[in-house]
Amino acid sequence: MSDHHADTPKPNFRVGDQVVVKLGPPEAHCRTPTYIRGISGEVVELIGQYHNPSLLAFHKPGLPKAWLYRVRFKQSSIWDQYKGSDLDSVMADLYEHWLTPSKEQ
Amino acid sequence: MQRKVNDVGGLQSAPIDHEEHDPTFYEKRIDAMLMLLTSPKVHAFSVDALRRAIEENTADDYTKRGYYEKWLKAIRQLLIEQGVLSETEIIERIEAIKKRGS
Repeated sequence: MSDHHADTPKPNFRVGDQVVVKLGPPEAHCRTPTYIRGISGEVVELIGQYHNPSLLAFHKPGLPKAWLYRVRFKQSSIWDQYKGSDLDSVMADLYEHWLTPSKEQ
Repeated sequence: MQRKVNDVGGLQSAPIDHEEHDPTFYEKRIDAMLMLLTSPKVHAFSVDALRRAIEENTADDYTKRGYYEKWLKAIRQLLIEQGVLSETEIIERIEAIKKRGS
């Protein structure tokens, strides 16, 4: 599952990086929910490299493998008029091609 | 933003019906069929392909069709895509079973 291969690229992001989720458009079998697109979050874990689900979805081998990151978002940055604590967060597991570096860095 | 039919997180919704029911024979058969078709030995298609086929429903069909009904439609589509069965074979088989009456 997350084994390393010489032909798969190095990760573009590290734990602690601020990233912004791309707006789209969603590919077939997209794993990135709309509610976090365009939102800035922090990389909290490099989960590993996985066969690309959008290629597996069309009976292909899913190569090259894609880096999967766990990203934390503040609830208050996702939902307008969020009334909970400013510390409330949500995690999403996102593939690298959905992430861009945040300008805030 | 472009949104897939299955991607409903954060959308306004009517109250969710949490009523449970025992699995019906129809549902169990579809479940068994999928487990067998996606087992490592058979691997007729991947679960990713199943999800993609389900997500290809129109918004209307996605809402109207039941959980296992969506599985069944997807299984049918994927078996044709993978050349396991043809559309004609499926139709002929349905007709034969209808004539047989069970």
